[in-house]
Amino acid sequence: MKLIGFLCNWCSYAGADMAGTSRIQQPGDLHIVRMPCTGRINPLLILKAFQEGADGVLVSGCHPGDCHYNDGNYYARRRLELLARMLPAFGIASERFQYTWVSASEGARWAQVVDDFTERVRSLQ
Amino acid sequence: MGTGRGRFYRKGQVPPVSELKSKIIEALDEAEFVLGWTATGSGAAAPARFHNAGEAEDAVFDSTCVHNLAVQLPRLKDKTVGIVAKSCDARSIVQLAAEREVDLERVKLIAVDCPGMIDVKSIRRSFGFGASIEDDGTSLRIASAEAEREEFIVAKCRGCEDRDGGAGDPGNHPLREKFYSMSAVERRAFWRDHYSRCIRCYACREACPMCFCRDVCIMQTRDPHWIGGGVNSAEAEMMQLIRVNHLAGRCSGCGECERACPVGIPLMLLIDEQNRVIQEMFGYRAGIDPEAKPPLLSFNIKGDIWEEE
Repeated sequence: MKLIGFLCNWCSYAGADMAGTSRIQQPGDLHIVRMPCTGRINPLLILKAFQEGADGVLVSGCHPGDCHYNDGNYYARRRLELLARMLPAFGIASERFQYTWVSASEGARWAQVVDDFTERVRSLQ
Repeated sequence: MGTGRGRFYRKGQVPPVSELKSKIIEALDEAEFVLGWTATGSGAAAPARFHNAGEAEDAVFDSTCVHNLAVQLPRLKDKTVGIVAKSCDARSIVQLAAEREVDLERVKLIAVDCPGMIDVKSIRRSFGFGASIEDDGTSLRIASAEAEREEFIVAKCRGCEDRDGGAGDPGNHPLREKFYSMSAVERRAFWRDHYSRCIRCYACREACPMCFCRDVCIMQTRDPHWIGGGVNSAEAEMMQLIRVNHLAGRCSGCGECERACPVGIPLMLLIDEQNRVIQEMFGYRAGIDPEAKPPLLSFNIKGDIWEEE
């Protein structure tokens, strides 16, 4: 199983790092792509990942209000929600996509998100 | 802020078709030419440009004038032109104005009351190429026999809100019910099956009034490499994903992509769904108000509409 994670550099990537340095056990299916900001994530990147055979795509960024660039994740939130609602029409089960917000200090929460998402997609296989 | 489409098109205030020629001649006072339709020998009207009163004599408007002529406007930006437009075409013009691709001061709009367009292709499929088609907007005769008009109307006209007899539920694609009764896996297979017929002619893009990029279209570039050059269902799928994404919050649902497709891929299934989702999420429809803020170019700090549900 191959899962792709698009993570913002400032919050979620640091949060994932935190989970690692804290030695929290996580499933190893997620391949992380480090992005400057969730606002940089073109929805086509996510669709391309699915097209190339990804089983699931996880997007995570700073909590709304905490964006390093002030408003990047506000734009992202609209795009990602639209994409989430369009996936069934493209023929991709909506369980295969999730977007969430994880801050740099939430290592344990990140591990939980990865755990839950991996489990969710695995149950579809 | 305008009252939306009403500024350009209002039922009962449009000139009868008999006045079309004089309206075109009137528009030519200021316009370099007028975009409209002319009759052809094949029984279906074709788009034309009228430069003077003599040419305007050939102008027609009937129920085969299905094309959305607004597709030509972005490349005529530096000219003052007239355009004969149905209500759906008017919505494209409003959306082009919203994106500063059309200057409404330089477009002389000749609005026509549309009875719903006849699907000439499907009639010919059922009755043969030579079958005569007579239609006066209320009753249809095919090969000299009475036919049920609503059955032979173009798909997008069935749900039209602006014509008499329209169902008033735009976006209700004929295949919608069947499509959503399938599982996600079956829907993907459904698309792959349809996309396998794609010949990559780009007609869907060229017929679309909103696809006016002057940059090189990413469906054709190899840098960035979003898509390969192959003609197969995988590349065709990526093409449509690109197209749908780039039309988010911009498409007025004129149906030209599906009509132009030579291999009959039901492209409006995707587009209609996206328009429906955008209306549900943001209460926004493209092509209504040229001053409205596009939903994907703005945000709401306090939380978005769908989160309050």
